[in-house]
Amino acid sequence: MKNPLRRADTWQGYLFIMPWLIGFAVLTAGPMLFSLAASFTDYDMTSRMNFIGIVNYTTMFTKDDLFWVSLYNTFFFVIWSVPLTTVGAMILALLLNKGIPGQRVFRTIFYLPAVLSGVGVYLLWMQMLSPSSGLVNTMLGFIGIDGPAWLADPNWTKPALILMKMWSVGGSMLFYLASLQSVPKTLYEVGALEGANWWHRFRYITFPLITPVVFFDLITSTIGAFQIFSEAYVMSEGGNGGPVNSLLFYNLRIWNQAFEVYNMGYAMSMTWFLFVIVLLLTLFNFKFAKKWVYYEGDRR
Amino acid sequence: MKSLRGSNLVVFLLLCLGSVLILLPLWWMISTSLKPMAEILQFPPTFFPDDWQFSNYLKTWQAAPFTLYLVNTLFITLLVVIGNVLVNAFVAYGFAKIQFPGRNVWFVILLSTMMIPGFVTLVPQYILFSRLGWLNTYLPLIVPAFFGSAFFIFLLRQFYLRIPNELIEAARMDGASHFYIWWHIMLPLSKPILATVAIFSFNGAWNDFLGPLLYLNDETKYTLQLGLQVFKSEANTQWNLLMAGSLIVLLPVIVLFFIFQKYFIEGMDLSSGGKG
Amino acid sequence: MKRGVGIGLVVLLIAALGGLVWWMQGGQEQASNTANSDEKVTLDFWSFWGSETRRPIIEQMISDFNESQDEIFVKHTFIPFGDIWTKELAAVASKNQNAIPDVVVGDINAIKLRGQKQQVEPLNNLVDVNALQGVMHPEAWDAVQYENETYAVPFTMDTRLLFYNKKMLEEAGYTEPPQTWADLTEMSEKITVKQGNTFEKVGFYPLFGVGTDVWLINADGRNYITKDGEVTINTPEDREALEWINEFTDKMGRKEIDAFKAEFGEQQANPFLSEKVAMYVDVATFYTQIRDYGDHLDYGVVPLPEREEGSGHYSWSGGFALEIPKGAKHPKEAATFIEYMAGKEAQMYWAEKNFDQVANQEAGRAVADQLEDKEKEVYEVALTAMENTLLTPVPVEVPDLVSLVSPELEQATLGKKTPEQALQAAEQKVKAAKEGAQ
Repeated sequence: MKNPLRRADTWQGYLFIMPWLIGFAVLTAGPMLFSLAASFTDYDMTSRMNFIGIVNYTTMFTKDDLFWVSLYNTFFFVIWSVPLTTVGAMILALLLNKGIPGQRVFRTIFYLPAVLSGVGVYLLWMQMLSPSSGLVNTMLGFIGIDGPAWLADPNWTKPALILMKMWSVGGSMLFYLASLQSVPKTLYEVGALEGANWWHRFRYITFPLITPVVFFDLITSTIGAFQIFSEAYVMSEGGNGGPVNSLLFYNLRIWNQAFEVYNMGYAMSMTWFLFVIVLLLTLFNFKFAKKWVYYEGDRR
Repeated sequence: MKSLRGSNLVVFLLLCLGSVLILLPLWWMISTSLKPMAEILQFPPTFFPDDWQFSNYLKTWQAAPFTLYLVNTLFITLLVVIGNVLVNAFVAYGFAKIQFPGRNVWFVILLSTMMIPGFVTLVPQYILFSRLGWLNTYLPLIVPAFFGSAFFIFLLRQFYLRIPNELIEAARMDGASHFYIWWHIMLPLSKPILATVAIFSFNGAWNDFLGPLLYLNDETKYTLQLGLQVFKSEANTQWNLLMAGSLIVLLPVIVLFFIFQKYFIEGMDLSSGGKG
Repeated sequence: MKRGVGIGLVVLLIAALGGLVWWMQGGQEQASNTANSDEKVTLDFWSFWGSETRRPIIEQMISDFNESQDEIFVKHTFIPFGDIWTKELAAVASKNQNAIPDVVVGDINAIKLRGQKQQVEPLNNLVDVNALQGVMHPEAWDAVQYENETYAVPFTMDTRLLFYNKKMLEEAGYTEPPQTWADLTEMSEKITVKQGNTFEKVGFYPLFGVGTDVWLINADGRNYITKDGEVTINTPEDREALEWINEFTDKMGRKEIDAFKAEFGEQQANPFLSEKVAMYVDVATFYTQIRDYGDHLDYGVVPLPEREEGSGHYSWSGGFALEIPKGAKHPKEAATFIEYMAGKEAQMYWAEKNFDQVANQEAGRAVADQLEDKEKEVYEVALTAMENTLLTPVPVEVPDLVSLVSPELEQATLGKKTPEQALQAAEQKVKAAKEGAQ
């Protein structure tokens, strides 16, 4: 009885993931494998592609200072921006799910920055972050803080970018909002009867139920943060890396190597090194997730 | 709607403050879009335009065939959204609710496709599409959406995992196929997240720049984001028109979001919706 | 699920498929269109000149060419600035003839490297090299050469000049513009008014409008690596340049001047037009901005001041060149079009309409003779400045040059390293990279 059903499940499972499998095989796998292979060559896209073994990788670790600079910058950004944006998005979603008057308008406003894209936004931020007439330092001035020079000061360029990311946290807010809709109201009523305060309600009712989305946000924003590129590209005047290379992020270095000096093989080896780091981190997260992510579907 | 008392009042005030923080920069965009260039170049910058130039918006729209670009962009975006919502919801069900050998391996591979920056595979992918004869068509922009995207599949999978397995098992016992369960049970239960996927993929396709840049060679096929670039050049950027254009392009996305929001409010109560 | 929604989805799917079919037919129409005009060769020309001011000019030039011709038809496509080269590269890498354009406007300083990388077609057998060499700006011509082969034809240039506000100079008692660095220092000190932590006005600051690199060229008329391959970064002149810049920064206050500079970031508010800065480095086309948005200004223009009397008013220029991407369908016809564009007539038209500097020196001279009043004054100064203008072609042996040197220079101007230390470190890095390449 059980076996035929299982077999049916196998082919149905593959049927369901078939669209993605085909797309992966036809559109994605080829270019990915190509870039892996090319990372062991001196590929420059137009004139040559000779196998050079692991030279790209050894150059990266032993001869390229800027590789380490970019790796440091990227880790700095990931470590700060991921927790801040994840928690920020969650808090925002909780506040915007309380039935406050004007909630739909508020939600739209907070989502706005996520919609805005392109160079206009980055330039808008340059204006906001300008040291004396910019909005950010004017605001800080109100509370008696003498704001830094942000994008002109190598110590403050990365925090400036993290601030920008915080501003557009309304994007991932949507995932939390969507997931909060399926937290049963009855649970809160039970909680209220037992005299639970807001922290208890959050900690023991809401949070466990939205952990799948927290987990999703954590994984995807980590992957995204490791790939930070366009902000740094625009804000450092055409990708030169900002003051003292303080904005030279990993992907910016890859871009410069690939499209400024056409060291595509090298760029690809950098890519695959980061790929391994991110993949390991993600797998670790998945292992660790069993301890805190709660899937209602699994309860028996 | 609750009344404004106690903690809710505090939250309301906080949200007002937050809104101001978000809208002030936006106002700067709006005000730039209404200034003449001479005023933009002056220092200190003015908060309100001295000389309100509403005609900038008309000028912007006429600076390039934007009506055509709008139609092109709508066409691409619509198809991308349809593809993304349907296909990702379908694939995610396979990853979330069907046990089959190799599932975890495929899922890791799925996630790993997100970990390679797009511009590294840009050239090989371009070569691939050029071999397929897809250059200067919308196919490279649309077709991938019909093969699923790792980001959305992962998101939907997380949602499906929350839906009790008993629901599915009971339906399976009654002889329902997985397809039937997906269509009649899963989709109706996941409206809020499908709305999110729709909004996100609309936003993504609407703002896509690199794709249209690479694959479209005919200016008659251009999209809004490419059109906006006429205001930038190697030397003098027409900031007022660029900002006006960006705001016009932004408008449909905001309207769409405002409308789609109702799906967040109409959330599903799983415990009362299901049998188990 | 409600039946309505299901039906809606089916309708949408059908619409989607219908759309695809509609589009595919559109694609076929396109194909038959090009088939009709095959008596003429159609050239695909990509430029980033899509703005309201530039587009009519370039398209006029193209339509003049098309009318003068019965064998070639040039089709112009606007592609966004910067990204145009990414797209071109992808097309060249694909080796797909239908994707590769015939002529593209390229960054002149990247041509050598791209020639070496075989991204562009060699032109020695396609254009009249001797004739072009005779009329082109020598530095610009050199920038498109690699190993005795020509890889593009220079089109425009944009040398840096010093604009000065006559009224502000007069108020401080100066009737003559600065000639040397010492003049700049002295005059600036007199003009600058600082109140508390903010500047009411600034006489001059070397890093407004240009970077440290331009002053290193200005100091001794040499690039980081000379044409003979000598690395000349850690030189007394270059040290002097950094010290001179730091002197400004120290006197004015780093924090204050950074703040002032950031207020005018990214070409928005312009400090010279707002009469906040008396002396300002910019390109000749800045004239059109002053004409259009600052006609109240009483200003003059001179070549960049020199390090000391007699050291030379060296300046820096970027520029654009016309190239044929590797693997283009019609290189011969493309070369004909490029020669037309580099010819005197077309170059004059471009120069006059855009108030731009062109690489064809005969054309530049002829335009200056035709102009009048202020236009003539500015253009003549630009022509003079061009005589001492260097370009900075990316060196093939050390393509990474700028990313090796810039951070060190920044350390020096930020006061984290002495000029000596920074230049020494930069020179060492460049030398190491150069040796590694050999």
